[in-house]
Amino acid sequence: MKSSYNSHVKRIILGLVIFAVVGFIGKEISSPKSFGVYGHYRADAIQEEADRDMRHKTNTPCLPCHTHEAGLHKNGLHKTISCEFCHGPMADHITSGIKTGELPVKKGEEIRVLCLRCHNRAIHARPGDVIKTVVMPDHLRDKKVKETHTCNQCHHVHAPYNYIDQAKQALSIKEAS
Amino acid sequence: MDREKPELNEERRTFIKKVLKGTIAGSLLLVIPLRADDLETSEQIPEHIPEQIPGIRGSEYDMSRHRFVFIVDITRCIGCGSCCVADKREYNVPDGNYRTWVERYIKDIDENIYVDCPNGGLDGYQKPREDIDRPVRDTFFVPKLCNMCEDPSCVQVCPVGATFRSPDGFVLIDSERCIGCAYCIQACPYSVRFLNPVTHTAEKCSWCYHRVRRGLLPVCVHVCPAKARKFGDLNDKESEVYKILSGPGVITVLKRDMGNSPSLYYKGARREVI
Repeated sequence: MKSSYNSHVKRIILGLVIFAVVGFIGKEISSPKSFGVYGHYRADAIQEEADRDMRHKTNTPCLPCHTHEAGLHKNGLHKTISCEFCHGPMADHITSGIKTGELPVKKGEEIRVLCLRCHNRAIHARPGDVIKTVVMPDHLRDKKVKETHTCNQCHHVHAPYNYIDQAKQALSIKEAS
Repeated sequence: MDREKPELNEERRTFIKKVLKGTIAGSLLLVIPLRADDLETSEQIPEHIPEQIPGIRGSEYDMSRHRFVFIVDITRCIGCGSCCVADKREYNVPDGNYRTWVERYIKDIDENIYVDCPNGGLDGYQKPREDIDRPVRDTFFVPKLCNMCEDPSCVQVCPVGATFRSPDGFVLIDSERCIGCAYCIQACPYSVRFLNPVTHTAEKCSWCYHRVRRGLLPVCVHVCPAKARKFGDLNDKESEVYKILSGPGVITVLKRDMGNSPSLYYKGARREVI
């Protein structure tokens, strides 16, 4: 009979349609929102990463409150150093315009360790045209000061030549270069 | 009957008190988070911080318009580890894991190479190496970070689409999708990925995507005192990175033969650097 001859084709087609519909609905339910907009990933993840909180906020927000340090820092040789490297991230200090914590100020032996992180000539890999390096404690002996001196007794940490230039000016000393 | 009356009053009084307290508390709850939210959003758009990458702020961000590259100038790196410290603080990276690190290379007179990297360079390099007997011929620092490959193998192997290359060229991780299978960690030729021990998801350097989208430099580039790290848009002909990459000098990428086409370039790197 004609109808029974067609029926198995119809059944196959119906089966395929059901399979496709169930598959499509299943995929829609199981794949997350915005998946596949740009590729095989969630497109919203890009915006989520872009919205991550910034913890370091450059030097700009530090300067309006710390005006004394700002004046020294911007004119000194250390102007390329970020405030946040020595003192910690802004996010640990001010949140939503309110002071939420104190940032550490390095003292004593910590200062010496911090200075020698960059200025130690014993590490030969440091290019001389980029940074001025010293040998410790030879530098202290050369300058005829006690070997117990910390760096910040002669060099202001925010402007290393500030005190030295002032002293030279006051005493009108000229380098015998 | 007379006795019950004050008790009833007492109950009524406490009831009214409770209602009043509830209303005050409720209205306060409504007011406080609103204020905090307002401040939060104003903080997210750091207009008061000057723009560091021109052409990001002002107009709608168009992902197809930019081609960001990172350049590490080995001839300028002083190995202070500022970048490593800033990176750890920006992302609260757990101890023992590093999104970026600084290696020290030492080459002796017989061309033997010694590489070390104590604590990823987080504490800087305070002491010279004392275990090398032969005279040292050459020594330099090599900062390492994500290479942001144009053809990243980490993306190819991810079974769940948790790591991807965005249309603006950043290889990022969707920590919501990541199942922590660590295939990507094995696949990365530059070993920049690690499994975060707290979240149990893969993590790596993102070139500070959140800062770049706000027009600011990646935190390691910003804090570098020697200007050894440079970042910019190659489509901007005025940018420093364009001038470096279109000019003379030794410019290389790491493991070119792996075929990943990195967007991280090294200036002045010796051939021993891998």
